Amino acid sequence: MVAARTEISLVDGANGRLVYRGYVIADLAEDMSFEEVAHLLWYGRLPTRAELDALTLELAGSRTLTTSAMTALAAMPKDADPMDVLRSVVSVQGVEHRLEKPTIPLAIHATASFPTILAAYHRIQQGLEPVKTRADLAHAANYLYTLNGKESPPELVRALNTYLVLLADHGMNASTFTARVIASTDSDLVSCLVGAIGALKGPAHGGAPSAVIDQLDQIGTADNAERWLRDARRRKVKFMGFGHRVYRVYDPRARILKAMCERMNPKFYALASKVEEIALQILHEEHPERPQSTNVEFYSAGVLQAIGLPKQYFTPTFAVSRAAGWTAHVLEQVANNRIIRPQSEYIGPEPRKPVPLAERG
Amino acid sequence: MPEFSPGLEGVVAAETAVSEVDGANGRLIYRGGYLIEDLAPIATFEESAYLLWNGRLPEAADLDALCRQMAAARGLKDAGRGSLVALDPATDAMDTLRTVVSAQGAAKTLTQPTLDEAIALTAVLPTIVAAAYRRSKGNDPIEPRDDLRHAANLLWMMEGKEASPDRVHWLDTYLVLLADHGLNASTFTARVIASTGSDLTSCIVGAIGALKGPAHGGATFAARTMLDKIGSVENVEPWMEKAHEEHRRFAGFGHRVYRTYDPRAKILRELAKTAAPDLHRLAARAEEVALKILHEAHPERPNATNVDFWASVVLTGVGIPKELFTCVFASSRVAGWTAHVLESLADLRIIRPASIWKGPQPGSKPLPIAQR
Repeated sequence: MVAARTEISLVDGANGRLVYRGYVIADLAEDMSFEEVAHLLWYGRLPTRAELDALTLELAGSRTLTTSAMTALAAMPKDADPMDVLRSVVSVQGVEHRLEKPTIPLAIHATASFPTILAAYHRIQQGLEPVKTRADLAHAANYLYTLNGKESPPELVRALNTYLVLLADHGMNASTFTARVIASTDSDLVSCLVGAIGALKGPAHGGAPSAVIDQLDQIGTADNAERWLRDARRRKVKFMGFGHRVYRVYDPRARILKAMCERMNPKFYALASKVEEIALQILHEEHPERPQSTNVEFYSAGVLQAIGLPKQYFTPTFAVSRAAGWTAHVLEQVANNRIIRPQSEYIGPEPRKPVPLAERG
Repeated sequence: MPEFSPGLEGVVAAETAVSEVDGANGRLIYRGGYLIEDLAPIATFEESAYLLWNGRLPEAADLDALCRQMAAARGLKDAGRGSLVALDPATDAMDTLRTVVSAQGAAKTLTQPTLDEAIALTAVLPTIVAAAYRRSKGNDPIEPRDDLRHAANLLWMMEGKEASPDRVHWLDTYLVLLADHGLNASTFTARVIASTGSDLTSCIVGAIGALKGPAHGGATFAARTMLDKIGSVENVEPWMEKAHEEHRRFAGFGHRVYRTYDPRAKILRELAKTAAPDLHRLAARAEEVALKILHEAHPERPNATNVDFWASVVLTGVGIPKELFTCVFASSRVAGWTAHVLESLADLRIIRPASIWKGPQPGSKPLPIAQR
């Protein structure tokens, strides 16, 4: 089913290419800041120096939470899934915009708030005060700064920035589609984002990177990989971080993340690369006809771990990145809108008369 | 390349036994195969919700158990209450509903949606709606009453006194009629979110966001606003002719699916005669004129009154302020949303549609910033 026409991103599964507005991801990932890529997704072209400075300033100026959002955040249970907190507080943060039509300034405003919400909650969970955001730091650097209360080394900031660039959009995935369906009713941007966060939370979508870590923890050592994986397969346990609906070859983002992981997280890489090799072999033995490959979540886990993020914050950090793509898609949807209301096929009984309560049973 | 149908019109996105909108024949069928016009006179909202969830109408003992379970689940948790009081009392009621449902459902671990959760969510929506209303008026929320049913309790929590049996009956009928309606945009949203393996709260929060749109659940508000602007029976014709000349759409007319009169609108139109006689006279005249103008403009189109038009009149008769119409709609449709999510679990497959690329073909390298 084709759900939309888009010029934001193209997932060319057959050739293993991800294209943002005409640029292949490998050409963007190394040198671009998240801000530049967000500009590309929102405006359709890369910014000039002046445009980038303006956007950076506007993002930095939109990071503060409203009083309502801070109060709601403080009322959340201390042990909640940060995705639930993000869903709830994004919902509060945007209420002042009511039923305004989605615009780029609103997209910037919303995107800027995601890291603040997560960092503040992370601090609260640890019994610490939230840290004030720093307008002199870029999106990735400020996120790490507010999470940890101190600046991170440049290589970690750079790695997080690359992750944020890689994950910022990915065609008509389930959460992006959710955002577009909500936008199609002429609802507001916040409603679209809140819906998308809920969809991203699902383990079949963005909820899997922490499960990769869990599975690797269970495997424990490279020597144990083959035995564990073969046994898991007999028990019908799903290998985490493998398979994708669209890619028929190696996911280009996974390739980049794999190289980063090897550099940044050698311990993880030693185990993960062995697990990858054996998992792909087993999957191939079972279904030689299927193109099996490693997906983006597998090595994301190692990169995010090396950056120092707790694993409950892996999926929320995915949301920090994807907020740019979600908002870009909402803007595209409303620019040429038609309510998304598909058909269903009724598989229930043919019409018959209901029996009143007194005569039932 | 598969074909692209804008808005997915005519594209089948799911199989369902929860409800069927038979647009050609103007029929709405609820789970079990019951036509809405057969069900509405004999079933309460709770019975209808039971039907949508379980696939059969409840016996007396089943219904008692459900009502008790719902009554016990009406209270807000600390997180729900905390997010409620964090919001400015002037916040749009749908924003309040979206936020408080989200906070109410915040949990440590992700769980698969269950029927018990569906019942609890359905039970708690009116509590949030009434609290949002009370706060907007500068009043404290009123605690739910566990001896009242869904409709009666909503009016109790809004007003602090028991509503007349007539008003309760009109509201209950509205809630039965709106509880499900095929794969509309909000229900589809809930099913897409469910398809990722996410939790029930996430599905319902997304659905609330979709229902908020003026092209979906916001249409009842728009219909009432239009009737307010028209103001009097005498003003109907000049107002509507002028609106038509100015290419303004009439609120409450037209539907993607129905090709004949919406069966729910028919029931509500009849109910409106007693629920809101004055507004009914105005609305009946507005309907007559609107359909005439629309038919003259597009004789080939099946133009018909939709459910929002007459729902706005009946809800007015119930005494619901129009700012709460969409929230009250949500308090009904939550039964359908949750039923669809539970149904989809039986064969969960991620909904990840394709898109057609109309951007530039890859090839050009991005220029470094200094050269742009």
